[in-house]
Amino acid sequence: MAEPILTITDLWYGYSAKSYILRGISLTVLRGEYVSIAGENGCGKSTFLKLILGFLKPQRGSITCTASRVGYVQQKTDYSGDEYPITVLEMLTSYCGICRVPKSEAMESLAMTGLELQRNSLLGDLSGGQLQKALISRALIGSPELVILDEPSTGIDNASSKEIYGILRGLSRERGVTVLTVEHNMLAAIENSSAMFHIAQGHGHICTPENYVKEYLGK
Amino acid sequence: MFQHEFMQNALFVSVLIGVMCPCIGIFLVIRKYSMIGDTLSHASLAGVAGALFLGQAPIAGAFVFTSLCGILIEYLRKKIKNTDLVLSVVLALCVGFAVTIMSTGKLKANASSFLFGSVLTVTRADTIGTLVLTAIAVLVIILLHDKLLYISFDEKAARVAGVKTALLGYVFIILVACAVSVAIRVVGVLVISSMISLPVATAIQLRRGFVITFVSSILFSVFDAVAGLVIAYRLDVAPSGVTALVSVATLFLVIAARALYSLKRAKK
Repeated sequence: MAEPILTITDLWYGYSAKSYILRGISLTVLRGEYVSIAGENGCGKSTFLKLILGFLKPQRGSITCTASRVGYVQQKTDYSGDEYPITVLEMLTSYCGICRVPKSEAMESLAMTGLELQRNSLLGDLSGGQLQKALISRALIGSPELVILDEPSTGIDNASSKEIYGILRGLSRERGVTVLTVEHNMLAAIENSSAMFHIAQGHGHICTPENYVKEYLGK
Repeated sequence: MFQHEFMQNALFVSVLIGVMCPCIGIFLVIRKYSMIGDTLSHASLAGVAGALFLGQAPIAGAFVFTSLCGILIEYLRKKIKNTDLVLSVVLALCVGFAVTIMSTGKLKANASSFLFGSVLTVTRADTIGTLVLTAIAVLVIILLHDKLLYISFDEKAARVAGVKTALLGYVFIILVACAVSVAIRVVGVLVISSMISLPVATAIQLRRGFVITFVSSILFSVFDAVAGLVIAYRLDVAPSGVTALVSVATLFLVIAARALYSLKRAKK
C-alpha cells in the first residue's frame, strides 16, 4: 500500500473567535492519489487549501506533509495588464532560479504541458487555457511529489479544460505525482479523481467518486 | 558645456541615477507599487526636515525616516489589503510630519531645495555616495532578481517555493528607501517618482519580456536624465523638471511609434 504524503488530523480553523469554518477535519492522502476537494461555496475549501499550503496556521490539529517539493497552481490569475512584461519562459526560468534547479527544467516542463510554442509569449497574450498550462508547467518545476491546484478549470473553455485534466490525470497515473485539487467542476472531478473529499458544515468526508455521485449528487 | 567640473559631476550622477531608478522601478511597477516612489520621496522630505530641525545630516535623516516609512508600508500592507490606501495613509503621515516641522521656522538650513533637487551643485561626496548606492542596487538586483520578480508578480508561488517573502519584502523596501533618499538630493522630491516609474512605463510599451524591458528601461532612463540635463543647461532652468518632461515626451513618442507600427502591420 502507498505511503501517506499528506496527513491532516483534527484540523480546526475559524476567522473569528466565535465560529469555526473547519471543525476537526481529518484527511490522509496517499502517494500517487488524485484527490478532489468539493463542497458548497463558502464551506471552507479555500481555507483548507491555505492551511495545507502554510498560508494560514491551524488553530487546532496538525498537518504533516512528507513531499520533498510541492507545486501550486492558484485560482484563476489575471496577468492581462501592461504591468506584466514577462514571457512564459522567463516566468519558468525565474522559478527554476528560486527553486535552485537547472533552468533547462523550464523547457522540459513546457514540453509536459505542450506549451513549447508559446514560450516567448507574454503572459498577458495567452488564452485562459494556455495561461493555466503555463502555471501547471511552473508547478511541475523541480519534480514535485505533490501538486496542489485551486479550481484548475475556472474561466477556461471545455476543450482546454479537457487538456488540463488530461495532464493532471497523466501526472497522477503515469508519473506517480500526487494531485490535490479544490474543485467546482464536479464532472471533471468525478471523471479524473481517485478519491473525493467533501466538506460541509466544517466537517470532511472522503469517498470514491462513484460513492460521491450516489451520496451528494444523487440527491 | 561638459568642460565645467560641475557639469561633469552632474552628468555622472544623472547617469547613475538613470541606472538606479529603473533597477528598482521595474519591480515596483510589476508589484503595482508605482506610487510608492511618491510616498517615499515625501518621507525623505520629512526626514530631511527632521534632520535639519535637529541639526543632523539631512541625507542620513532622509534615509532613516524613509526606511521607517518603507517598513511601515510593508507592515500595513499585511493589515490593510489595499495598496493605494496604505500608500495614502503613509503619504499623509509624511506630508503632515514635513509640513509641521518646516512650519516651525526652526530648521537650521533650507529644506525646500530638496523639493526640486540640485544636480548642478552635487559635490564629490554626493557623487561617490550615489556611485556606491547604484552599485549596491545593481548587485542586489543581479543576486536576487528571480526572487524579486516573484515577490513582485506572484508572492504566493514564491512562498510555496520556500522564498522568505516577508524578509525579502523588507530588504527591497529598504533598498528603495535608500535609493530615494540619495536621489532626492539630486532630482528632488517632486520628480523622483517619475524617474522610478516613467522609464519602466516607456519600456513596457515595447511589449517584450522582462529582460528586454529591464535593459530598455535603463536606456530610456539614462537618455531622459542626460537629455534633461543638457536641455536644462541650454534653457537655464531646473534639470529635474526638464527630466520629468523629457520622460513623459519619450513615453508619448514610444506609444505613438508603437501605434504606427501596429497600423503598418495591420495594413500588410
